[in-house]
Amino acid sequence: MTESPQNAPRVLFLFTEVFAHGGIQRFNQTILDAATRLGIHCRVLSLNDSTAPAASHPEHRNLSVVGFSGNRRRYALAVAAELLQGRYDRVLIGHVNFLLLAIAVLVLRPFSRAPTMLVAHGIEVWSGIGWARRYALSRVDRILCVSHYTRRRILEQAPALAPDRLVIFPNALASSWGRVATVPFARSLPAHFILSVTRLDRGDRYKGIATVIEAFGMLADDSMHYCIVGHGSDLPFLRLVAERCGVRDRVHFMHGISDSELIALYQKCAAFVLPSGKEGFGIVFLEAMFFGAPVIAAEEKGALDVVRDGETGLSVRFGDTVAIKGAIERIQSDGDLRERVRANGRSLVVEDGPFTFTGFTRRCAEVFEVGEAAAG
Amino acid sequence: MCGILGLFTLGVQPPAETFAAALERLKLRGPDDSGTWRDECVLLGHRRLAIVDLSATGRQPMESSDRRYVIVFNGEIYNHGELRPRLNPRGAWRGTSDTETLIEAYRAWGVDCLSHINGMFAFAIWDRIERTLFVARDRMGVKPLYYSDRNGSFGFGSRPGALSMLVGDGGLEINPEALRVYLELGYIPAPLSFHRDIHKLPAGHYLLANARGIRRVRYWDYRSIKPDLAMNSRPEGDLVEELDALIRDAVKARLMSDVPLGAFLSGGVDSALVVAAMKGAGVGHPKTFTIGFTEEAYNEGPAAAKAARYLGVDHIHETLDVNSLLDLLPAYIQEFDEPFADSSAFPTMAVARLARRHVTVALSGDGADELFGGYHYYPLIDRLAPMLGWRAGTRRSAGRLFNSLPWHRTKLLAGALQCSDVVGLFHFLRSVGKDYAPLVNPDVLQTTATSESWFAQFATGLAVDLSASENAMRLDAGLTLPDLFLQKVDIATMAYSLEARCPMTDYRLVEWSMRLPIQYKVRHGETKYLLKKVLSKYLPADCVYRPKMGFAVPLAQWLRGPLRAWAEELIHDDALMSRLPLDKARVRDLLRQQLEGDRESHPLLWSVLMLLCFVQNHAERRAMPVMAYREVA
Repeated sequence: MTESPQNAPRVLFLFTEVFAHGGIQRFNQTILDAATRLGIHCRVLSLNDSTAPAASHPEHRNLSVVGFSGNRRRYALAVAAELLQGRYDRVLIGHVNFLLLAIAVLVLRPFSRAPTMLVAHGIEVWSGIGWARRYALSRVDRILCVSHYTRRRILEQAPALAPDRLVIFPNALASSWGRVATVPFARSLPAHFILSVTRLDRGDRYKGIATVIEAFGMLADDSMHYCIVGHGSDLPFLRLVAERCGVRDRVHFMHGISDSELIALYQKCAAFVLPSGKEGFGIVFLEAMFFGAPVIAAEEKGALDVVRDGETGLSVRFGDTVAIKGAIERIQSDGDLRERVRANGRSLVVEDGPFTFTGFTRRCAEVFEVGEAAAG
Repeated sequence: MCGILGLFTLGVQPPAETFAAALERLKLRGPDDSGTWRDECVLLGHRRLAIVDLSATGRQPMESSDRRYVIVFNGEIYNHGELRPRLNPRGAWRGTSDTETLIEAYRAWGVDCLSHINGMFAFAIWDRIERTLFVARDRMGVKPLYYSDRNGSFGFGSRPGALSMLVGDGGLEINPEALRVYLELGYIPAPLSFHRDIHKLPAGHYLLANARGIRRVRYWDYRSIKPDLAMNSRPEGDLVEELDALIRDAVKARLMSDVPLGAFLSGGVDSALVVAAMKGAGVGHPKTFTIGFTEEAYNEGPAAAKAARYLGVDHIHETLDVNSLLDLLPAYIQEFDEPFADSSAFPTMAVARLARRHVTVALSGDGADELFGGYHYYPLIDRLAPMLGWRAGTRRSAGRLFNSLPWHRTKLLAGALQCSDVVGLFHFLRSVGKDYAPLVNPDVLQTTATSESWFAQFATGLAVDLSASENAMRLDAGLTLPDLFLQKVDIATMAYSLEARCPMTDYRLVEWSMRLPIQYKVRHGETKYLLKKVLSKYLPADCVYRPKMGFAVPLAQWLRGPLRAWAEELIHDDALMSRLPLDKARVRDLLRQQLEGDRESHPLLWSVLMLLCFVQNHAERRAMPVMAYREVA
């Protein structure tokens, strides 16, 4: 629990969602955790959270969250009202979709506007930055890019932006992961399995799960199973792919598991495989690394910042089922490689690693311009 | 070209005469020789069309030098001469055949031999010690391979008709999913086949079969190769030269032959490029073959003759009345062991018949359209793709509006607006039987997946960030090319014991084409942009930049004219119709609409007729498909 000093900065956060699973949500949770530890007064307007769970956060008194249950009109009005009151030292726009709204309101009060920052996650800024967004981006003081790829894509689309305003601000493992107690898995787990954790909506086929199923079906080791944690509208298609590959009885779709069960899966899996083609950052890679799972990812976009082939994991070409199969076999058969990528992967998220919560808090202190000592 | 057949069983082997009869069914694939090999659990058979090493040392089945392995092989390994010194530096070989090289490559490298060989192939190698059968198909699917895993027996063969005689056990069931997919597409994509217990081995895959079961593995996956955007900054002339060199190299490799060799020359870009490359490779006056038609609308003869004059080849041309192609209908039905509704098989058979009178091997330009952007719908799909981003309600409203208009094109647009993604759009444009569903028994529709689901599965491995037309080209290259076009070429040429070789499917060329940015394939509506630049080195502009014609036949006119009685007889054959899960009344209505000119439904109608022909033709065979579905009232 953190008490904030009287002169602590006040920051308005405009988020899509906080209290749910997903990469952006995890980022939002982590930045709020860090900001409150830094003593920042955090006021959060969250579009998709419901008011009830979002109203208070037990750990942080200096955090207030207002949810709008997806009501865009109410949300827009609330954002406008908050911005026009002008009581904030900073405004952090959590999604590019809110950028135009926020800038439009702030332009109305040019003399008292708070410095604004935008978080650029991934796919939403990799394309489609038209003239209006380019203008809005030019009015933002800082753009926090979760990966080098995201930063490069923004600069390619908006070359007039001063590069030093785009800072790399990667995600980090949430502080809470170290405190979750491992419990025995309630369901029976196969002895040998590979693991994926992701959304499974039809629009998420770029995550590469079908290609993993195909590669899995080609493995010689028929004692191996494949556990997929996630849920979504594409489940029937993925089940069909598993059936066509002849591995329906060894592919397990898991839904509604707890964090402690997820940890058990991370700890026991032979490899964590998510060869996604469009990962903005890939927080699940960090989670898997923290719990000692060797990671197999695609050499694409945000994942490149985390998974370096042969060092912190194995990288494959997106969609290349032959390469995915080869990577799983290498992890299985080459003990030295497996231990090396495990150790190097874990080093990214512990102690002085670049993706620790401590490092993330330090980056927050820099961008919010508060002393780290405030974090206690 | 050859035919292969085999069976691995731990049970009772079929009688020798059954195996011989099944092998006989492959005779046109290999009329020059026949051989069998057996041990206590494996039967291998081979029909040979002698192309390389005509002596007895090229006979199959062939044992490896240590007698551990036995091979049956259909195809050609074009780089086998390069592999020989690596495999056996002392040069002690029994003969000069690529079969011997291939089996020694497997002996040396095991399954990894596939990464060393460049060719078109379908083969099986029996390991007498490990008691494992290794079966593989070439990267792009030039050569066909079917397999069956049924009742503890694993069988394989070049034709499903031959294989079904081995594993049919008194009759195989129709695969209802294949039937549905066939009516949508007009062909059956791998791994489906028309028989429930027979599967097509997909291109670029191998199988391992032993007492523990079978395992199917993809060994080459080019779908995900990303375009190399750095190529955009290179001078266009460099790319032209690089592509030209690749084509020449692919063609040169395919000149390996101990028998006369020529090429098809249609008057289009692809075959002209192949012939130009033959000349460049030192073939003085290659024989080229064209079929022309007396009807101007279908006649590519003059264009081919003009190209032949510029290229300086020995051009052989035959002009037919387009209706004379109907003489080929019995052979068409006989040689296609599965329903197949691409009517361009007729002219392909005609040109194969012509070529076989002069040569045993013919090079063809197949594959270039899919790899280098040759189809008219590639620019179209790029224009339609932005509509996929519209809100669903907007698309529905626009679709209703377009559908209410009287023109065919607006109705097509209305259909395209219902698609949810690029794969769906491609599937819609590629389907020949867009209105097939009402014809089919609802049970089949409820219990089977659509062909779009196969397209979607293939598409999951496509590189990210491709344009809509790039996605379409890769889907065509992976699905349409092997199972529609290359299958057609294989069967049409096989019917006349002619070996077709397709240089454009050389894997080095395929991988290069995947790296080539889209602007060199389709630019401002111009298809095959870079390929045409290459051809411009050899032919004047009016030969290069002429409208694409293709192998079209007047199907609609045929159905209203010379084929009318035949079609009516087939569709009104109650006994025949009752073998299939089709709605008789609706099928008859489809025919009526076509005959009375109410609606142009000939692509779907032709698919139905080919389906009925297939069932009728195979009715007296032991392997007659038996439909387990109730008749639709």
